Amino acid sequence: MKISELAKALHLELLTEPGYDDREITGCYIGDLLSWVMGRAKPQDVWITVMSNINIVAVASLADAACILVSEDVPIEDAVLQKANMQDVVILRSPLPSYELGLQVHEAAGI
Amino acid sequence: MKELSLHILDIVQNSVKANASLIQISIEEDTTADTLRITVADNGCGMDKDLLQRVRDPFTTTRTTRKVGMGIPLLEAAATGCGGNLDIQSQLGVGTTLYAVFGLSHIDRAPVGDMPGTMSVLVSGSPQIDFVYTHTVDGASFTFDTREIRTALDGVPLDTPEVVSWIQAYVYEGLDSLKTK
Repeated sequence: MKISELAKALHLELLTEPGYDDREITGCYIGDLLSWVMGRAKPQDVWITVMSNINIVAVASLADAACILVSEDVPIEDAVLQKANMQDVVILRSPLPSYELGLQVHEAAGI
Repeated sequence: MKELSLHILDIVQNSVKANASLIQISIEEDTTADTLRITVADNGCGMDKDLLQRVRDPFTTTRTTRKVGMGIPLLEAAATGCGGNLDIQSQLGVGTTLYAVFGLSHIDRAPVGDMPGTMSVLVSGSPQIDFVYTHTVDGASFTFDTREIRTALDGVPLDTPEVVSWIQAYVYEGLDSLKTK
């Protein structure tokens, strides 16, 4: 399933710029301890987290995640979004908690 | 990171890469002020003002194999997340000192972790470098100093397996004695 299809199916808010590289999502990783996620999230994963500092952009970039999905409507600063746009990292957001989002990703994308 | 010792292991690699010959690590726990302060001071090549300003940015790294460097950004996030802060002072040709302060009793503060293992890994990985590790709890302190050990060993390399396991046991016992004080 493509990022845009997941965004539509789960009614996700796109925080970074539209016109992004619409990558295929092949997995899902949930975690908030960035050093832990760094070594465990896989390329093309949708990464679900409540973390919001600038380091999430670096971790997503390093792990080559398809996109970041911020749960529970955590606010994200403009500086973080600017950096994400510069690094071609897609950030989506939802009011739902991480567990609920994981279930919905499973249902929508079959992963 | 799950343990502060992993942050220290990571940060000390910067000092090693800066060609330091002496690296001083200190952990100070102060229950009255409710702070835990980590200091890593080296006499390496230091940083110019430009690099010093950029070094907290995760997209700054001196590494050439990839564009991301997470050591300092993750430590800063961990410290500020526990009501603390991170400060770095550096001078070209003189060295760099990094300070990270954590709220000692903050619920998100990771435990100190395996410092005996960390010291033995650091010494065996860079036996030519001198390390000083001081751990202070409310004024009582324990110090491990490879310069003293080097003198006592009289030429035996610090990465000799027997020396490495002795270092681990020595630091373990030293920290253990602090707990009972």
